[in-house]
Amino acid sequence: MSQAKKKNFKIEPFKHKVEMDPKYAEKTWKILEDAIHEIYNHNASGLSFEELYRNAYNMVLHKYGEKLYSELVNTMTQHMREIAMIVEASQGDLFLEELDSKWREHNKSLQMIRDILMYMDRTYVNNFNKTPVHELGLNLWRDNIVRSPKIKDRLLDMLLDLVHRERTGEVINRGLMWNITKMLVDLGPSVYQDDFERPFLDAASDFYRLESQQFIETSDCADYLRKAEKRLNEEIDRITHYLDPKSEPKITSVVEREVIGNRMKLLVEMDNSGLVSMLIDDKYEDLGRMYNLFRRVPTGLQTIRDLMTSHLRDTGRQLVLDPERLKDPVEFVQRLLDEKDKYDKVIQLSFNNDKTFQNALNSSFEFFINLNVRSPEFISLFVDDKLRKGLKGVSEEDVESVLDKVMMLFRYLQEKDVFEKYYKQHLAKRLLSGRTVSDDAERSLIVKLKTECGYQFTSKLEGMFTDMKTSRDTMQGFNATLAGSESNEGPTLAVQVLTTGSWPTQSGARCNMPTEILSMCDKFKQYYLSTHTGRRLTWQTNMGTADLKATFGNGNKHELNVSTYQMFILCLFNTADRLTYREIEQATDMLAPDLKRSLQSLACVKGKNVLRKDPMSKDISEGDIFLFNDKFSSKFYKVKISTVVAQKESEPEKQETRQKVEEDRKPQIEAAIVRIMKARRLLDHNNIISEVTKQLQARFLPNPAVIKKRIESLIEREFLERDRVDRKLYRYLA
Amino acid sequence: MCEFSRQEFIEGLQMLGVDSIDKLKYLLPSLRAELKDEHKFRDIYNFAFGWAKEKGQKSLALDTALGMWRLLFKERPWPLVELWCQFLQAKHNKAISKDTWSQLFEFSRIIDPSVSNYDSEGAWPYLIDEFVEYLRENQSLEACTSGA
Repeated sequence: MSQAKKKNFKIEPFKHKVEMDPKYAEKTWKILEDAIHEIYNHNASGLSFEELYRNAYNMVLHKYGEKLYSELVNTMTQHMREIAMIVEASQGDLFLEELDSKWREHNKSLQMIRDILMYMDRTYVNNFNKTPVHELGLNLWRDNIVRSPKIKDRLLDMLLDLVHRERTGEVINRGLMWNITKMLVDLGPSVYQDDFERPFLDAASDFYRLESQQFIETSDCADYLRKAEKRLNEEIDRITHYLDPKSEPKITSVVEREVIGNRMKLLVEMDNSGLVSMLIDDKYEDLGRMYNLFRRVPTGLQTIRDLMTSHLRDTGRQLVLDPERLKDPVEFVQRLLDEKDKYDKVIQLSFNNDKTFQNALNSSFEFFINLNVRSPEFISLFVDDKLRKGLKGVSEEDVESVLDKVMMLFRYLQEKDVFEKYYKQHLAKRLLSGRTVSDDAERSLIVKLKTECGYQFTSKLEGMFTDMKTSRDTMQGFNATLAGSESNEGPTLAVQVLTTGSWPTQSGARCNMPTEILSMCDKFKQYYLSTHTGRRLTWQTNMGTADLKATFGNGNKHELNVSTYQMFILCLFNTADRLTYREIEQATDMLAPDLKRSLQSLACVKGKNVLRKDPMSKDISEGDIFLFNDKFSSKFYKVKISTVVAQKESEPEKQETRQKVEEDRKPQIEAAIVRIMKARRLLDHNNIISEVTKQLQARFLPNPAVIKKRIESLIEREFLERDRVDRKLYRYLA
Repeated sequence: MCEFSRQEFIEGLQMLGVDSIDKLKYLLPSLRAELKDEHKFRDIYNFAFGWAKEKGQKSLALDTALGMWRLLFKERPWPLVELWCQFLQAKHNKAISKDTWSQLFEFSRIIDPSVSNYDSEGAWPYLIDEFVEYLRENQSLEACTSGA
């Protein structure tokens, strides 16, 4: 083996040195040039793709790429110019058609040319960063035709004119439009946007500004909205049919701005057809349309909401302060509920259950309900009416729904403690007169109040129910002892024992009981105190009722349902036919206002006058004489004369209740102050006021002056002191 | 009311270095001059409340309070003192609490006689709020009548 040098083998391609001489390049180009001509003249079928491709390939290969490219540019430009002249020459409407057809041809031609020159595209164009053939073709088209001075403006004007014609109701050639706009898009986004879209939007803006001005002057609100909606839909339709989808948000915002945004205030405030009248007439469809249109523009919904709020507050204020309405509390509250229902429906059907509208509704109601200080009382009376008779025979679900509606009004009240006071009074009357329609309904409402306000609010109310039940048990026991004992003669007694703290306090009532009653009462008292030592019982003669069997002149027998006071008075007539006011007063020892009221309902009310009065005047005076009316008659066997039903308070009663509420508030405010100061130790005046207000707002809105007085009282009692240095600071004294 | 115990009397005079009427007479002008000092005045003013009220009471009877005020504000004049007394007799007619008493001094010190710099959020006692209202009503009345 010879140590031969290892030679590396090289295999080289056989270099076929084919030099292309310039003349040859020129010739090759000529072939291609002719081919391009033929292509543009629709004579492409006679050409050989393979041959042309090879020619182009050779040119590039032999470094004639540059020549090929630049000649291509020249040729194509030439062709573009020829086409431009043809297009320019076309008349009228044919202009667009000519442009369109030439464009389509150009694309076909361009495709073929690109295929032929593909090698150049991939090599020369890439290497020297030239524009690829296809793009080149588009650019040349753009620069020489679409943007040629004689074509550019004419094209735009024609397009805009067509759009305008369509807007005014003419039918146009949408397909043609679509082709033209697609052409513009293909030529590049800036072409479409700058050459067409922007002027298109401006024209639309002008058009709609003008049109909306005319509409506003001639249509009513609902009509205008319908037209606006129509126009909006039309524009969207237009986009889908012959414009670039990207234009949609732009054109819709133009329409929204011109037709809706700039006209909003005028629209909603239109007399007799604007938002207010739509709300009054429950025009759900129109309101819904308004909502859908206005939500498209900034502050659109706010405009609606603000006007709705101010309208609601106005009507609410009128409703609540109208003296006519205040005469019937139940009607008053019903009207409030109706108003709420109305607006709930509007929000549901027309405003898409929009929460912001719901909030506006709530704040408006809260505003005007509290304008009338009697609202808490009236709501309680409404509930009383429902629970006494209104809900008789009503299904359980409906009962719940009424109670829920009442709770909703309750939530709006600022002075919830006033409501509590009245509710307690009315509930007491209902329970004691046995006049409640459904125990379940009563309890259901208590539960709702508890959920809303906490245990403290309802603990006393529940105490009342407990007392009623306990009394029933007590009565059972008492009657059992009676049955065992001697005579069962005398009146039957039904006693309810009320725990003082739970029931509304009554001012001192008194009267003398007739002996028949007295002995029975004493028996009960004995029985009760035997099992409950250490307790004290006081008869509440102003809260009871009695059933009396009475025999009148012609043998007429009736059962009279009367108050305890009235019973006492009538029993006097068992031993006398005729009594003076003074005699009655002395015998019963009743307070004058109670006596007068009872006598009035016994002697001065038509159909219930079991007593006759001399003189026959309407009012009771101290010189009057009373006689048993043996001529009394009535259709019914049972006659109700008692007056123990809850009513709207008279002015003096209202003052009294108000005072009681204010008195009750004082300890609550003090407790809040102490709680806060205990936690904070040192706090300035304004902060105490705001903290106390915050703590108590679930029950009532405390008056800052009252809070101040309570602070002073606490200083006096040495719970707090002022800081020595800063007199506005208070310190908690442990 | 307004009692010194014997102990207090003797100790007090001892601290002043006084053991005869003449010496007391001699000291009086300088003692009176001390009242011009705001802090000293405040101390004496606040002391006066406790001293003037009846034993066992928390508040000072109105008549006594009025007398005390007139006395004290002689030494340190406050233009509104008469109106204040008038107001109390017309509208309040009840005893004066300690807080009201002490805050009145601050009021006389801070607030100018035309009550132009009165701040209703300034944690003043309720009675003083009412007094300011009373003043303003009367001021406007005067303005009306004087303008008419």
